[in-house]
Amino acid sequence: MMMHIEQINEPVKVRADFQGGRIRPLRFKRQGREHVVKTVNACWETREGRRTLHYFSVTIESGDVCQLYFNNEELVWWLDSIMMS
Amino acid sequence: MKRCILYLDLDAFFASVEQLKTPSLRGKPVVVGTGCIASCSYEARRFGLSAGMSIRQARRLCPGAVVLPGDQRAYQAFGERVFDLCRDLSPAVETYLDEAYCDLTGTLRLNGDARGAARELKSRIRAETGLSATVGIARNRMIARLAAGSVKPDGLGVIEPGSEEAFLVGRPVRDLPGVGWKTARLLSKLNVDTVADLREVPRFALRRLLGRLGDVLYERCRGRDTRVVAEREIPKSISRETTFHRPTADGAEIGGMLYYLTERAARFLRTRGLEARTVAVRIRHSDLRGAAASETLAQPTALDPVLFHLAARLLRTVWKRRVGLRQVGVRLERVSPAAPSQMDLLNEASDARQRRMVDGLDGIRSRYGHSAVVVGRSLHLLGTLRQNPDGFILRTPSLTK
Repeated sequence: MMMHIEQINEPVKVRADFQGGRIRPLRFKRQGREHVVKTVNACWETREGRRTLHYFSVTIESGDVCQLYFNNEELVWWLDSIMMS
Repeated sequence: MKRCILYLDLDAFFASVEQLKTPSLRGKPVVVGTGCIASCSYEARRFGLSAGMSIRQARRLCPGAVVLPGDQRAYQAFGERVFDLCRDLSPAVETYLDEAYCDLTGTLRLNGDARGAARELKSRIRAETGLSATVGIARNRMIARLAAGSVKPDGLGVIEPGSEEAFLVGRPVRDLPGVGWKTARLLSKLNVDTVADLREVPRFALRRLLGRLGDVLYERCRGRDTRVVAEREIPKSISRETTFHRPTADGAEIGGMLYYLTERAARFLRTRGLEARTVAVRIRHSDLRGAAASETLAQPTALDPVLFHLAARLLRTVWKRRVGLRQVGVRLERVSPAAPSQMDLLNEASDARQRRMVDGLDGIRSRYGHSAVVVGRSLHLLGTLRQNPDGFILRTPSLTK
């Protein structure tokens, strides 16, 4: 099975659910196109001094797996990478 | 009080994290690595793949394997979550990338029996991270680790006190910590291939053959290991980065800032008796797009000129767009205790001069503050940034890891 990871590293607009102390991305828009998050596969955090980056690996409607992260210092969402089969 | 050491190893760690991140990889042969395998899933191991093997050979043995370059940040994050769970059992926890030792001595009242505590730890790790772990419990760390190795994956191995010698007897000498391939080859020439063979060799003969290691192996082949479990104090990396007051495309200002950040990171290393082998540079353009690069030196160092020479080269490779920068940062990785006189023999004179220079600077700065001396490309920052005795006043304080 061939998989290809494309490093993107772009800010994106994300609609997310903040409940129960957790963040759950629901959909995001990139280059004018909206993508729906079907499942959140995994989430983790990295810390750099005061900054915390909340990472999410999500499967979108096309079946591709995207890695998003939320920078809590800049309050910006980023699309880190896309993995395509 | 009887010692009780718990050893934990995350099964196929990197590959398991990748399978968590991408559900379609679950149950499939997954390999993580570039050039050679850093980690592979158990599905891949059925094809004979193992850590250290070249990717080329891995593809020959298992054409269907999915090969991924790896995501160190994710692995560190997952590892830290697991280690936090270990710290719930005991304050004495020694951690490495995918394994940990916990000293459970004297925690019976807190944790109950060790076997129960281990089962609960495995269960919590799976519930909170999705990862599986193998655990070994014994009277010392060597036996605990070997116990885990004999029940992987997702196992629990317990060696009761008093049964260490019997557990070790048929094992190869390579299983003992301290026996690398050179020592194993030397012992093999003397027909010492198993732990049982090693026990036949008198202490004085081992000492004569291997020096202090001989004494250590004499104890270890009998199941004895007195090494303590202690939290490591060496940081995994040291990073310094900042945001410019205004996005800038001024090469002198950016280079000056990178030099200053590298100086601060290197001084941090030296004050703690550390050195680093890998330099990473990260930038953020004014349009918020980022880029990063890293490279590993042949020898670890804590010398500003060596580290900056590499950082400057990395900056040239990542800053290629005609867009100003808003952030720049340097991270020093593969941190280790500084070895004495680790000078490149070919550049001994140059290294000695650089060493004298940074020692002199450190001496002045420790007495009068970092701002007492501004050197190198940091001079470009004079007049641009205000200073206090501790250094330039940056828009965002340098981030420390």
